[in-house]
Amino acid sequence: MSAETVHTVIDDIGSLLLFTMILIVAAGQIYRAIYAVAAQSLLIAIAAAVLARATGNGDLWVIAAITLAVKAIVLPWVLHLVVQRMNVRREVEPVIPIAATLALAVLIVVVSFQLSASLGPVRQAITGNALPVGIALTLTGVLVMATRKTALTQMVGLFASENGIFFTAMAVTQGMPLIIEIGVILDVILAALVMTILVLRVRSTVDADIADLDRLRG
Amino acid sequence: MTGSRPLALVLVEMILLVLLGPLVTGAIQKMKARLQCRQGAGVLQPYRDLAKLFRKGTVQADTASGLFPLIPVLVLAATVAAGALVPVVRMGPPAFPLGDALMLLGLLALARFLTAVGALDAGGAFGGMGASREMTVAPLVEPVLMMVVFSTAVVAGTTELGALASSRGASWLLAWGAADFLGFAAMLVVLPAETGRIPVDNPDTHLELTMLHEGMLLEHSGPGLGCMLLASHTRQIVTLGLVSALFFPAGPWGGAGAAGLLFGAGSFAAKVLVLAIYLALVESSYAKLRLFRVPQYLGVGFVCAFMALALRIL
Repeated sequence: MSAETVHTVIDDIGSLLLFTMILIVAAGQIYRAIYAVAAQSLLIAIAAAVLARATGNGDLWVIAAITLAVKAIVLPWVLHLVVQRMNVRREVEPVIPIAATLALAVLIVVVSFQLSASLGPVRQAITGNALPVGIALTLTGVLVMATRKTALTQMVGLFASENGIFFTAMAVTQGMPLIIEIGVILDVILAALVMTILVLRVRSTVDADIADLDRLRG
Repeated sequence: MTGSRPLALVLVEMILLVLLGPLVTGAIQKMKARLQCRQGAGVLQPYRDLAKLFRKGTVQADTASGLFPLIPVLVLAATVAAGALVPVVRMGPPAFPLGDALMLLGLLALARFLTAVGALDAGGAFGGMGASREMTVAPLVEPVLMMVVFSTAVVAGTTELGALASSRGASWLLAWGAADFLGFAAMLVVLPAETGRIPVDNPDTHLELTMLHEGMLLEHSGPGLGCMLLASHTRQIVTLGLVSALFFPAGPWGGAGAAGLLFGAGSFAAKVLVLAIYLALVESSYAKLRLFRVPQYLGVGFVCAFMALALRIL
């Protein structure tokens, strides 16, 4: 594949990633957010495969496979299971209206494009729009974490944010050392496990959700 | 001015759109019926409805003004004129100054405005309700369409639909840029709203408080109602034609002869059929949204269109 083809393909995947991010922000039900984050991880895996093919970096194939298995299949499945186990309300409970969150997401995308345009020569070295898209995904993921009341939707935000970092790192470095990537993915799995257990335990012992914890007084 | 679409061709295309509009509605209704395990009426049912309405007499509210009987004609005229701007069988700019995509959207907005004015004019409560709702939804739909048109026009350097379509060339899907995916997603989100379908509007009910477009038609009767229905069929096929001209302009390489025109007509029919299948699937798999949730749904389209434009410009 020529450098130009890779450029356009990464750009296209970037725009689809932004679309899945919009779906996560706009999702009114937890299941839809989970499916959207699974689709996002699938796109990340495809991007890794494309970069692997283009750069001939064998490690990236491994990364693509691990991303596909862990982030696109196992983690969404775990989240799905938790939603079923907890028997929670299926609607996400936003702190501010979803329309306002969408407007903030647009702002983040525009700002991250502006910021990375000011980087000039640094940006030239990076494949396509990967840097602004990655920054936008990361920040929007943080936005989702900040504007949701339930722990599960905050986890979805965390995964989306992590996807953004992963995408940026992959496109900027043309494939990091395998050991680092595996470390990052292990971190995500651990975080997911700890948070899942915490959510389930908190719920089963005190029957409270994250939103209720702000009433705690020390 | 040299162009590849002479006046006669544009007129034929326009008439074709008006004649085929009800067929698309009929096909969508048939597909919906089959998806819901019903037999459903034939695909020609909208034509029979229209023929029936045009034979009937007119009843008018006492409170309606002299403008009221003119409304259906004006709405139909604006919509049909919008149909003239959509390239159907052949891409490329017209041979004479016509209008561009903005003109098309403006004419559709004019038709919408006139429909709402007619609904308010008759003085019925349902009409007023429908008009107020339609005017709530319209400011969310129209900017999205505008931004999608702009996001493709930035590359082509023109807003004339035929030229825009031909600038895409033959390899349309491979040549899709990053912004096109977002623009197309925005289009898919607002398409049900623009054609008055679930999850925004329900085209099947006349007597429910959830309706937008049908509520505005309640006071019309006979040939007037026929004109309004024909206008909404035409509006639907014009919108579908706009989407296919912006995103899948297949047919420009068909050549200039009769074979090229036939090929263009066939590919147009195929594209409209695909979009009609999409609409039928959406209508069968989603519930009508509560009116206050509609802005959130359309907000997704708005954000997608805005990002498509941002990707093009930034």
